[in-house]
Amino acid sequence: MHFVIIGNGVAGIEAAFAIRDRLGPGEAKITVISDETDYFFSRTALMYAYMDKLDRRDLEPYERKVYAQKQIELVRGRVVDLDAAEASLRLQDGSTVAYDRLLLAVGAKPRMVPFAGLDEVEEGLVHFVSMQDLDECERLTWSTERAVVVGGGLIGVELVESLTHHGVEVTFLVREPWFWPAALGKEEAEIVAEHIREHGVDLRMEEEMSEIQVDDAGRVSGVRTNLGDEIPCQMLGVAIGVQANVEWLQGVSTPPAINRGVMVDRSFRTTLPNVWAAGDCVEVDVGRRPGLVETIWYSAKRHGKLAGLSMAGERVEYHPPLFYNSTKFFELEFTTVGDCVDVADGATTLFRKMPGKPISQRIVANERGEVIGFNMLGSRFDHRVLEQWIHDRRDLAWVQRHLQEAQFDVEFGRVPLSKMVEKEIA
Amino acid sequence: MRQKGTIGWLKHDITHRGVTAWALSAALFAFYVILYWTDWLDPVAQALHLGSKWTLYGLLYTIAITAGGIYVMRKYRHNKYQIVRTTVIIFVQATLAFSVPLILKFFNQPEVYLSYLWPLKIEYFYPSTIASWPLPFIIWSIAGSLLMVPLLATFFGKRWYCSWVCGCGGLANTAGDPFRQLSNKSSAAWKFEQYSIHITMLLSFVVTAAVVASFFIGDSSPMLQSAAGEMQSAYGFVVVAILSGIVGVGVYPIGGTRVWCRYFCPMAAVLGLVQKKGKYRITVKDNMCISCGLCSKYCEMGIDVRAYAQRNEDFTRASCVGCGLCEEVCPRGVLHLENSDKPRSGPQPLTIDALVDESWKDRHVSPHAEEKQESVISVNWN
Ligand SMILES: Cc1cc2nc3c(=O)[nH]c(=O)nc-3n(C[C@H](O)[C@H](O)[C@H](O)COP(=O)(O)OP(=O)(O)OC[C@H]3O[C@@H](n4cnc5c(N)ncnc54)[C@H](O)[C@@H]3O)c2cc1C
Ligand code: SF4
Ligand code: SF4
Ligand code: SF4
Repeated sequence: MHFVIIGNGVAGIEAAFAIRDRLGPGEAKITVISDETDYFFSRTALMYAYMDKLDRRDLEPYERKVYAQKQIELVRGRVVDLDAAEASLRLQDGSTVAYDRLLLAVGAKPRMVPFAGLDEVEEGLVHFVSMQDLDECERLTWSTERAVVVGGGLIGVELVESLTHHGVEVTFLVREPWFWPAALGKEEAEIVAEHIREHGVDLRMEEEMSEIQVDDAGRVSGVRTNLGDEIPCQMLGVAIGVQANVEWLQGVSTPPAINRGVMVDRSFRTTLPNVWAAGDCVEVDVGRRPGLVETIWYSAKRHGKLAGLSMAGERVEYHPPLFYNSTKFFELEFTTVGDCVDVADGATTLFRKMPGKPISQRIVANERGEVIGFNMLGSRFDHRVLEQWIHDRRDLAWVQRHLQEAQFDVEFGRVPLSKMVEKEIA
Repeated sequence: MRQKGTIGWLKHDITHRGVTAWALSAALFAFYVILYWTDWLDPVAQALHLGSKWTLYGLLYTIAITAGGIYVMRKYRHNKYQIVRTTVIIFVQATLAFSVPLILKFFNQPEVYLSYLWPLKIEYFYPSTIASWPLPFIIWSIAGSLLMVPLLATFFGKRWYCSWVCGCGGLANTAGDPFRQLSNKSSAAWKFEQYSIHITMLLSFVVTAAVVASFFIGDSSPMLQSAAGEMQSAYGFVVVAILSGIVGVGVYPIGGTRVWCRYFCPMAAVLGLVQKKGKYRITVKDNMCISCGLCSKYCEMGIDVRAYAQRNEDFTRASCVGCGLCEEVCPRGVLHLENSDKPRSGPQPLTIDALVDESWKDRHVSPHAEEKQESVISVNWN
């Protein structure tokens, strides 16, 4: 049987490995097609390549010989048509590929809106999502003194940090009243904002780009903001989120059902026969509208594994685990587990802060006093322990007493939790 | 991408095996050849009132560790493990490995380096070397090698010696820090290391045994005596001078800092065997690794840490010197060095089944969590 996977991102590769785990080379021929790179690389590490901490080859999580050992064929090319009736794909170079089972693991694309002046731009506007984006950023950095980055999400901060590392002066425009309200409370957002500013970044809250300006050659030369300010710049980073890469799928011979992503059931089957989908490009039907769209590494990895098993004939039913994630803003580490912001009425929030240091903890309990979420900033915690406490429905006082059991700081470097100042936020 | 400007070029070139790196490596090789096989450095040492070239070398070594140590403590200033460890490295180098032997010499005592032990310092088990030592030193050396080293390694792993005490590791982790990422990460290198290091270990045992035997029964067996003598000098030339001296430090700029430690050090082999059975390990937070590869890149022992982290596997590798840099550079706080009795968690290939089970389990997560997740992730996480 021929298993074809479009996309060599984490979802696609994990699926290929999962299929191979269940079916030997005699039972399954596996082909992975991608237009981006020859080998799977870690998208999450793009910024470290930009910052010269990693070389391109270091971004590859597996030794190249692994694919040969597992007999997974890697093909470089862009798929332009999908015909489910014929069970075949057409590539940009005109060749066709027949499949028995197909996985769409085509990831996400940067979101874009029609900013004023966008049509004039020939050069200088960058995103930071693909390997090609990285190439473009690197090419432009040499001729850039000032840059503007719009969008207060994580890719935005990563781009800002990379540019700052190269001595570029950066203005960071964030529309929201405080930094990253989707995950941070006002209190930790202020700590993060101060930390970002300490690195020389001109971080502006509640300010949006209203117009892009270009020079005679069409290169970005500045932006105007909604407050009327004009900021000269030679590079403009747009990082206002990502969306499922499904536009091209709408135009193929037999498009699958698409909402905000390719619609799949809990076993990652699309509406087309013998076609599955996983990762950033899907919307999982979880029995209500809209479905679940997750564009994070951990979900894509999990999706890929399960979709691969599902394709190999295993019965699979995806239920997303309790939400957790982690990130880093310059030197500040951040881990979140469960629900911390926009929680239902009646919840109590305990906010703990280390005086004089960018270290804080937010612990949220529901109206019954059971802990439902943690936001840990500036020190390391073991999310597995915190998750367990949420599953065990521990109450706030218990968690407060046991908090040190979840610490994950380096040896000798344990943050003295008893020195933290606590306040309750209603 | 390297940074703009000449400094940016130099920094990149020297840490990426560029021309300057090769030139530096050549200079280091030349320095060691001059040091080992000429007396050109003696006049320099005498002009500085340091007596012999070896004292001069000791001084340079101590300066390199101290200056490099200060650089490293600044670089990793928010990491207490690195600060404490580096302080100890500098302290041990300045005292046990430099001033104490000098002072001993000043009082006409044998020049004993208390921080070095057999089999790294193979002559510390040669009867001819220790014959002149005062008894406490002999006891320290023998009990240290045979009892203290393995015992402490059982509880704290190899790191107590290789990353806290030993001068070779000390130099690697201080002045050598800019080159640590150059270690070879391939599985082929790992295979090679498993052979080379155990072969050197066996050689060190055999040579020691021969030398000791020849000391006691050599008179009655001239053949043993001459064989032992030849083995002793061959080992001294190939292993001690060439591999630990010249190659060890000379290849820093092109092969990374721990080439000697990783492929050849007999002490490392012994400690590694003990470490595998001991309490030391690196714990991995499940499902938190983003496979970025920083841990593997900056592991000076060429361990592919990411391979373990991305399949949720706690691990102890024999070669791991417990420098803690993987833990330091991980942007997601996934790794933790610890001495623990807790059972280890296994690799992901097993958890693929667990994942299927899990997907069926009633994961008492409120539907609220799912809704929540969606709004957080799809709108703004990226
Ligand atoms: C800069 C950055 C930082 C991030 N950091 C984090 C983080 O810290 N934590 C976190 O959880 N998540 C992070 N993410 C998100 C995470 O990287 C993604 O969720 C994950 O990579 C998605 O994997 P995927 O396999 O679904 O898709 P992708 O990795 O996007 O792979 C899709 C592949 O399919 C290829 N493809 C698409 N269409 C076609 C076609 N028609 N023909 C052939 N090939 C095609 C694409 O070129 C691409 O190579 C980050 C993302 C970015 C961009
Ligand atoms: S491996 Fe050998 S030389 Fe290296 S630090 Fe350890 S004992 Fe010293
Ligand atoms: S695995 Fe980590 S602690 Fe061990 S040697 Fe490598 S970087 Fe150091
Ligand atoms: S540094 Fe951390 S996140 Fe990156 S690969 Fe290693 S363990 Fe994973």
